[in-house]
Amino acid sequence: MALFPISSKFHGDFVLKLVPVDTENTMDEVARAAAEHSVGIHVADQPGRVIRARAEGSDTPFPRDMRLSETGLQPTETVEFYFE
Amino acid sequence: MALLARDAWYDLARTTEWTPRYISEDTLFPPEMSGGEGLPAEAWATYDEPYKTTYREYVDVQRQKDAGAYSVKAALERVDLYNKADPGWISILKEHYAAVALVEYGASFQESRYVRWSKAPGMRNMATFGMLDEMRHGQIQLYFPHEYIDKDRQFDWSHQMMWSNNWVALGARHFFDDMLMTRGAAETSISANFAFETGFTNLQFIGLSGDAAKAGDFTFSKLIQSIQSDEARHAQLGTPLLQMMIEYGQKDKAQNLIDIAFWRSYRLFTILSGIPMDYYVPLDMRESSFKEFMQEWIVTQFIKSIEDLGLSKPWYWDLFMTDLDEHHHGQQLGTYSWRPTLWWNPAAGVSPEERDWLEEKYPGWNDTFGKVWDVMIDNFVNGRMDKTVPGTLPIICNVSQLPIVGTPFKSLKDTSIRFEGRTYHFASEVDRWIFEQDPERYRHHENLIDRFLGGQIQPADLGGVLEYMGLGVISPGGDDAHNYAWVDKYRTGAVAVAS
Repeated sequence: MALFPISSKFHGDFVLKLVPVDTENTMDEVARAAAEHSVGIHVADQPGRVIRARAEGSDTPFPRDMRLSETGLQPTETVEFYFE
Repeated sequence: MALLARDAWYDLARTTEWTPRYISEDTLFPPEMSGGEGLPAEAWATYDEPYKTTYREYVDVQRQKDAGAYSVKAALERVDLYNKADPGWISILKEHYAAVALVEYGASFQESRYVRWSKAPGMRNMATFGMLDEMRHGQIQLYFPHEYIDKDRQFDWSHQMMWSNNWVALGARHFFDDMLMTRGAAETSISANFAFETGFTNLQFIGLSGDAAKAGDFTFSKLIQSIQSDEARHAQLGTPLLQMMIEYGQKDKAQNLIDIAFWRSYRLFTILSGIPMDYYVPLDMRESSFKEFMQEWIVTQFIKSIEDLGLSKPWYWDLFMTDLDEHHHGQQLGTYSWRPTLWWNPAAGVSPEERDWLEEKYPGWNDTFGKVWDVMIDNFVNGRMDKTVPGTLPIICNVSQLPIVGTPFKSLKDTSIRFEGRTYHFASEVDRWIFEQDPERYRHHENLIDRFLGGQIQPADLGGVLEYMGLGVISPGGDDAHNYAWVDKYRTGAVAVAS
């Protein structure tokens, strides 16, 4: 377990945000952490829809149960979050 | 005592020059201080300053100008502008004085470096007056806000800001150190005088002067008109250097210096001029939008001056033109959202009428930036104040030191590189390009996020960050300029708000 900062690019937001997560977090948990700083703050909620995460510029989301440590992301690397 | 006419002695006096015999030319003018490498020795004497004055003339004119500004100030102190002006206007004053006063004083060091290190006698002479200009600008722009400090402690930032670790100060220092203080005299005159002053000080000093007069702030209007008349003069210091570089085959170097300084200046002025012009100036007092000012002063006039010299528009011109519609709106959302990090109280500028104006000036605003404001307004209307300030920090650009923003749904993106084992984030391709022009110049600087993640800011939370930045220390941080009165128009139900 280790604290791991990522840069969150949340669909519909206007700014990249620093989000502290943990290397043992699943991507669903990482998405929830990112949503906490965007949804209902700067981005309208879309209840019932799942938030997915993908590497910036990628078409394919990370598996929801993949651990952050398995993604190959570097500290402060930007991750895109979007409502599926 | 009879005086000789200026033209009877001026040229002889100002071209009086030394011929070093006991030390080398490079000892007298070290390349790292003087710059202009590759320009032949005979070129320097040809520097012909476009504006000539003598000390006697300078003192006479400046005394009259300053006396005019001081007398307007004295007369208007009775009017009690502080309590009568729109709070958005007061915020502009706080932002301006803090961002400008000590930078002007710093610019006197920039000019004094020309006085000592420039190889061109004409430039040394003219820079002496530029140095005096900047000292006066520093002093007068500290004196004018001083009267407001007993009314509002946030005006103390006029003196304190550049010594603080406020995020705006980190950006301003990074910019001005790069443009004014750390290049050779020849190169600095192109970055600072030609690109920054000729191009951009017009924007703040002439653009805001009209708005100030309409807002009834004739003191500020008179002050910045007076300052700009000096800036317009000493800004010309760079042009003869630019002509010399082009003549002696250094056109690419000149273009590169302009391309770097132009982008850096533009992005800084999105905060200093862009946000106030489009969001803080009361709607009925706005002269033009920021984009319209940019089109008049930069796109038309400044670019004409570049092309007249045989240079080209910066390579990123298309990106820049698109950016005029976008970037400062993102920075307004950022500064307003993180308003506790400011030393002024930001105006939201998004009442229904103001949004109509924004949509007219920037078609598509409501479907992009407006969507974010809808969420924020919904929180204000429903009393969820805890959700109106983010609980984390924005990612910051390693060149501009500004938050990395973009148009929602459209252009928000990271531009990053790995260099010598460290990740650098940039707010645009142009910022990355600037870094890549001279990584050694920029690589060691740590932005606010680097400092936060590196453990330099304790406690490592928003409270610790605010204290690090001087908020709650120098003065309380920012809050809505109008105490959220504008939200009332959305409470009536007459205006739809997304939920």
